[in-house]
Amino acid sequence: MANKTVFRVHPSINFARIGSSPEFYLSPETSAGLPLDNTATTGGLPIKPGTESEFVTSNDLRDAEGLLKRQAARFRLYAYELDGLDTYPCKSPAQEIVVGSRLADGRVVKDIVWTAHIANKKAAAYVVVNSQGVNAYADGKVPQLRNQGVYGDVNAPTRLSQLMIDPGPRAIAASAKTNAHFDAVTPASYVDASGKIQEQADYPKYFPTGKLFEPTGKLNTLGEIQTDEKGRLLVLPGFGRTAAQYDEYGDPIPLTGDLNNAGWFDDAGDGPVSATLIFEDGGVEPVFGAWVICGDPGFAPQIRNVVSVWDDVFDVWVRELALQPEIYNPQSGTFNPDYQPDFEAQVRPIFRAANLQRWTTNLPKMALRAHDAVDAISATDEPNRTIMAGLNFIRNPNLPAELNIGVPLMPLSVGDAGTSFLTVTKTQYFFLEQWSKNNFASDKGSGLGAGEMLDMASLSNCLGGRFVPGIEVSYTVRCEDLYMNDWRESGAGPFRVKHKALNYAEVNPKTPFLTGGWIPKHNMTDGLEPGDISKFMSIPWQTDYNSCSIHQPSINTLGVNHTNGNETTLYWSWPSQRPDSVYVATEVVNNVLPQQKWAIRGPGTYALDPKSASTFQKALQSVTDWDRLGIVIQGTAIEGDTYDPEYYLEVQARFDDAANADNPVLMWPFNTHG
Amino acid sequence: MSIPNSPQAAPPTWDIQHLRQHLQYAVDLEFWTIPFYMSAMYSIVDRSSDAFQLIQSVVNQEMLHLQSAANVANAFGLSPSFDAPLYVGQNIPHLNFSLDDPDPSQEPQFQPYSAEIGPLDAARIHAMCLIEYPDWDSDDKPNLQENVSQYANIGEFYRAIRYGAQELQDQIRGGVKQVDFFSSFYRNMPAMTVTESGKNGFYQVGLLFDLITDQGEGIAQSKDDIQTVFQNTADDRNQELDHFDKFEQIRTAPLPATYPLKPTSEYTAQDQEVLEILLEHFAGLRKNLRALFNGKNPEDFVRLMVSVGAAIQNCWKQGVLPRFS
Repeated sequence: MANKTVFRVHPSINFARIGSSPEFYLSPETSAGLPLDNTATTGGLPIKPGTESEFVTSNDLRDAEGLLKRQAARFRLYAYELDGLDTYPCKSPAQEIVVGSRLADGRVVKDIVWTAHIANKKAAAYVVVNSQGVNAYADGKVPQLRNQGVYGDVNAPTRLSQLMIDPGPRAIAASAKTNAHFDAVTPASYVDASGKIQEQADYPKYFPTGKLFEPTGKLNTLGEIQTDEKGRLLVLPGFGRTAAQYDEYGDPIPLTGDLNNAGWFDDAGDGPVSATLIFEDGGVEPVFGAWVICGDPGFAPQIRNVVSVWDDVFDVWVRELALQPEIYNPQSGTFNPDYQPDFEAQVRPIFRAANLQRWTTNLPKMALRAHDAVDAISATDEPNRTIMAGLNFIRNPNLPAELNIGVPLMPLSVGDAGTSFLTVTKTQYFFLEQWSKNNFASDKGSGLGAGEMLDMASLSNCLGGRFVPGIEVSYTVRCEDLYMNDWRESGAGPFRVKHKALNYAEVNPKTPFLTGGWIPKHNMTDGLEPGDISKFMSIPWQTDYNSCSIHQPSINTLGVNHTNGNETTLYWSWPSQRPDSVYVATEVVNNVLPQQKWAIRGPGTYALDPKSASTFQKALQSVTDWDRLGIVIQGTAIEGDTYDPEYYLEVQARFDDAANADNPVLMWPFNTHG
Repeated sequence: MSIPNSPQAAPPTWDIQHLRQHLQYAVDLEFWTIPFYMSAMYSIVDRSSDAFQLIQSVVNQEMLHLQSAANVANAFGLSPSFDAPLYVGQNIPHLNFSLDDPDPSQEPQFQPYSAEIGPLDAARIHAMCLIEYPDWDSDDKPNLQENVSQYANIGEFYRAIRYGAQELQDQIRGGVKQVDFFSSFYRNMPAMTVTESGKNGFYQVGLLFDLITDQGEGIAQSKDDIQTVFQNTADDRNQELDHFDKFEQIRTAPLPATYPLKPTSEYTAQDQEVLEILLEHFAGLRKNLRALFNGKNPEDFVRLMVSVGAAIQNCWKQGVLPRFS
């Protein structure tokens, strides 16, 4: 391949976040909690609609009726001039392509036609197995199916037609300045090879049918697509609605667990996003598409995960897919001892994340001071003189026995399936090791282009490390056959989900178009269908979000305590992405921090046992009241007072604190009663 | 907690200076154990090993004991100092095993022993057992020798201090320069600090002494578990075991692999540097401890405390013997 212009959609994987309001803001294009140039505000904040990059403030999070706004996933197009095999980072500058853009070869973009197809296969998919994770799919096995009362195997049309939500694809042209809903009314449409939008009236759409319990409104859409004034795509998610079937007694089927509730549906989803460029000379160019995932709201967008989805995805690409041979050689299975990670891009984010945990957890003062010292480390510090010398307090992911060792090893939150505690990825650990050996760079920078930055930022704002099953995505992001492996040759660029080829021109209106789809560890390399990422998440998402606050680590290890601590000691599940305890902004006076409050509080949340704190005590309340939660954002983005820029405080909660029984936040470590 | 008969029945035999001297010695002794135990712990290659975990749980409690002794000292008007501990020969500050009958240090299972900084080997674990050796005659009247180095074991040492503290309980002033980093790790403890004065303050003082001795060598000759109130509720899987029992577990099992040591003649400039860093951090920590227990709330205390551990481990990884002065 030589001198080829390729077009890519970025972020390669982007996240729309559910809200209860028709209004929306835009997905963040910066990386959570990291410093930014020329502002005290750190990365991760969503963007005001209609702007390039203006951060939202506390006044932009809810609409006039107090409903939680949705987060639209904004996709941009970039052109790259490739000469030979691609590299990462790409050597070619990235040129953003909007309507009216002129390419280096003189062509002018007349229009951009976007297609997206979102589906939700959760109810038709396999159960999440707490203790097994992805290994539940190993050795040719699969877990049991959800909703086993519905006859058939995972591909059975009878099951898919009853359990899958599939509104079909939607295509829109930027020039039309229109939108298209993923509902049962809007006709399915797609783009043909000539760049024309074709309506597919026969597409077999599926939504939950029959008598349904729908506590927050009818589950009749998975969202919509529209374009902005420059022709970029916005994917809006659903409204957080759920639907439940009724049992033989005429009652809604109860929510009996956190992950695999039978008879329930939600309006999360995922699927491919693609685009076709229409040039003024009549030419048409396809682009390398992306993937959109519609899921949980971001209740703490700037609180960085110590292990984010980016860290997991980057790790698998480095170690399994030869992303950067200068870092790791997959043939020899070794990291390059001469590689120098960039401090700001590859080391500091871990330190920064550690210190940000204080805003969503009940860390004791000793830990706060230690984390202060970690965050204060700069590239000019001699590593052996810092608090992180020798990585004395970092759990080593290469030593399985350490995955059960708690304090003082960090990170201290609950671990991945089958393990007690979280660990940084092997690539993160390698970067830390290189830094600790004083073998790092302080001025190299990330080297990423604009589109690549979007890829990284998008994924870095999501929960990684602990995929039981996760918040936005699950363990499948660590599977190499999820992705386009031929990125160097094809020019697709890395981190791109492989789209299964779908011929929308040929549909059977009486049978599901989609199948059970891709699963991990079964050598399925023909790509993913819509719904093949979110189906590994809990159903409905609200029950899992609600319950994943505080746990004993034995929740991951079949109830047996393998840690070095007391079996009753409680730890945080997803502390960055799912706040446990917060400082309420309106209670901060003269920048003096008040006592923390549980992130989920108010009537129905009083917990006799601390392990149930910060949750709705009845699961049903989680599907009705999830949008009452506040959002933790930086002091610089909070209207109404002048807050310390280093504070991250909860705003816009809709809990009736006056009616709340006293349920104080205990300082960690704290214990379950049994 | 047991309360001896009324001290008012007899004239005081201790004066406040004598008691403060004892409290300073208590701080000295608790402080001395921390680098000694930490050095042995960080010499172990496998951080997940039972030996590492057991010693770590003891080190954590020694820090609690240091806090407790310093809090009591402040309640009696003494803000303790933190001089550089010395690790020479078989000298353990204020303990003289030969005063015990029989002398445990002469028992074959504790021979040889060394009070010098070193890796977790037989000499070190023997010394660790001896330091935490039970007080076999705790029902007897405490030894009230003027020479405060003449205590057979820690139990007897604290019984003597308790005696003096009770006699002088009217001089206890609660809420003076008290420090608490550990209460959430001991959810069953009523108090980790001395907040009351006089008699009620002495109840708290006695509780802290009981905490130290029960966690350390257990109550006298009994083989009972640590009382529930003194058990760690957070990060100790063997929370019911006292220090002596934990060290005995290590002593009676195969010792884990430790980092090899270089002769000092082979130290490189980098080796010298990690040693210098440890010395700097430890000196800074001592200064910060002095400030911490003198009401100064030093900002750098936690960083230095954590960094000392990291620096010790760095030394071992390079084959360098840690030093603290």
